Amino acid sequence: MILETKDITMRFGGLVAVDKMNIQLGENDLVGVIGPNGAGKTTIFNMITGIYKPTEGDIFLNGQNMVGKHPAHITQAGIARTFQNIRLFKNLSVLDNIRLAAHSNTKYGLAANIFKTKSYKVEEQRIKDEAFELLKIFNLEDNAYKISRNLPYGQQRRLEIARALATKPKVLLLDEPAAGMNPNETAELSELIKWVRKEFKIAILLIEHDMKLVMNVCERIYVVDYGVLIAQGAPTEIQNDPKVIEAYLGQEVT
Amino acid sequence: MEYFAHLALSAGIFIILSVSLNLINGQCGQFSLGHAGFWAIGAYTSAYYGVYHPLPVPDFINLFIGCGIGFICAALAGVIIGVPCLRLRGDYLAIATLGFSEIIRIIIINLDIVGGPRGFTNIPNWSNLGWVYLWVAITIIFCANLVRGTHGRAIISIREDEIAAESMGIFTFKYKSLAFILGAGFAGIAGSLFAHSQQFLHPNGFTFMWSVIILLMVILGGLGSISGSVIGAIILTLLPEVLRLMGETIANWRMVIYSLLLIFLMLLRPSGIMGKKEFNLPFLREPR
Repeated sequence: MILETKDITMRFGGLVAVDKMNIQLGENDLVGVIGPNGAGKTTIFNMITGIYKPTEGDIFLNGQNMVGKHPAHITQAGIARTFQNIRLFKNLSVLDNIRLAAHSNTKYGLAANIFKTKSYKVEEQRIKDEAFELLKIFNLEDNAYKISRNLPYGQQRRLEIARALATKPKVLLLDEPAAGMNPNETAELSELIKWVRKEFKIAILLIEHDMKLVMNVCERIYVVDYGVLIAQGAPTEIQNDPKVIEAYLGQEVT
Repeated sequence: MEYFAHLALSAGIFIILSVSLNLINGQCGQFSLGHAGFWAIGAYTSAYYGVYHPLPVPDFINLFIGCGIGFICAALAGVIIGVPCLRLRGDYLAIATLGFSEIIRIIIINLDIVGGPRGFTNIPNWSNLGWVYLWVAITIIFCANLVRGTHGRAIISIREDEIAAESMGIFTFKYKSLAFILGAGFAGIAGSLFAHSQQFLHPNGFTFMWSVIILLMVILGGLGSISGSVIGAIILTLLPEVLRLMGETIANWRMVIYSLLLIFLMLLRPSGIMGKKEFNLPFLREPR
């Protein structure tokens, strides 16, 4: 197990947003989290990435407890994420967005930066080369110097995934990567996700509403409703689970 | 001639102040209104050194020592104010820093050793136009190089999106503090140069109004643009004087015209003269 949550619970005052959630993610897994709106999916992500501190429970990355660590520490330890509502650095160029993600792997000090020493130049060149490699993979290298706010929506989504990968993660969390995409773009995206998993040899956990994408891409699915795990298993099992059907469509009238 | 030299000198000092405030307000996105406070700390500490404990070395070395003292003391003040206050955001930070700069001024008024409300006199004249513009160049090069490295990019990412910056592995508090401390430090240098060229300091020269005017220079030039801050500082230093030279009627109405020009400029170009762009000479540009 690379990522494991043990009974994580998040309470906001009297509201239990997430209740005793157990999620397991293996070395190279591709796992989905689904559930109706407000089920607590994004809250789970926010706990794993350290934006919220879970009220109870533990989160293990490679056996190391991550609870209470600063989000930047958690990213440096190997968990990267994208956001439901795209959070790019909007006024910066595409290239700078990627270069920023390399921040924690950069090895020169402030003085080297100011005096533009050799180590600064060597490191900057390396960062730039690596950024361009990544942009090429994501088909964004022609737009490298464009301001990211001006990219079309689908490309902004892709850039956000590329930026998350630039932090060199072991686990990638994707929060509704297909939101607002048309069917063509969604199909492309599912290929991209599969390919990223294979090429970068990382584990991916994704939240998604687009059932086609989830069923097509994920090996295992967790279904969450009102903060509680109601089902888990392979896509085909989930599709026929009466509890899941109830959560999405409601009960049959008797 | 002396009049123009004096104008050029104050323009230079305001360039240092606006470029350093741009680091805090424009590049890091933290709304600070306490720049006059840091400026005052730099000016008074450096003047104190000059009046009471000058070393027997040539003037220009003494000036550098004074600038160093100004930088260190203002940066230390930046640490003291920054560490507790940078947890605040937006307007709240602005009010906290504003309060801080007023506290500095009141402390100075009550310090008899630096003249208190009478003003600090007999400060040695170590500075001149050349030294001021040397520091202008140092400040601009420092800030321009900073934003082209990983530390400067981290500072800018805080302005863009703090949550995203944290989830990219950037310790936002550390870089907020860095921007704040460096900005304060350069304001201290401006203070030192100011003290040693004016030879006279008065606490009323560092009121809240000056923080606002420096902020105006930054906003007028374009929040986040170094070249914009330089242009903003030059325009706002020269404008009242140029209007003064344009006949009696205009001279009498110059502050009204000055305000109207500011209003119209903000209506026509809300993002400032340069926006977030930089004026770059071809050989300075990043190779593509």
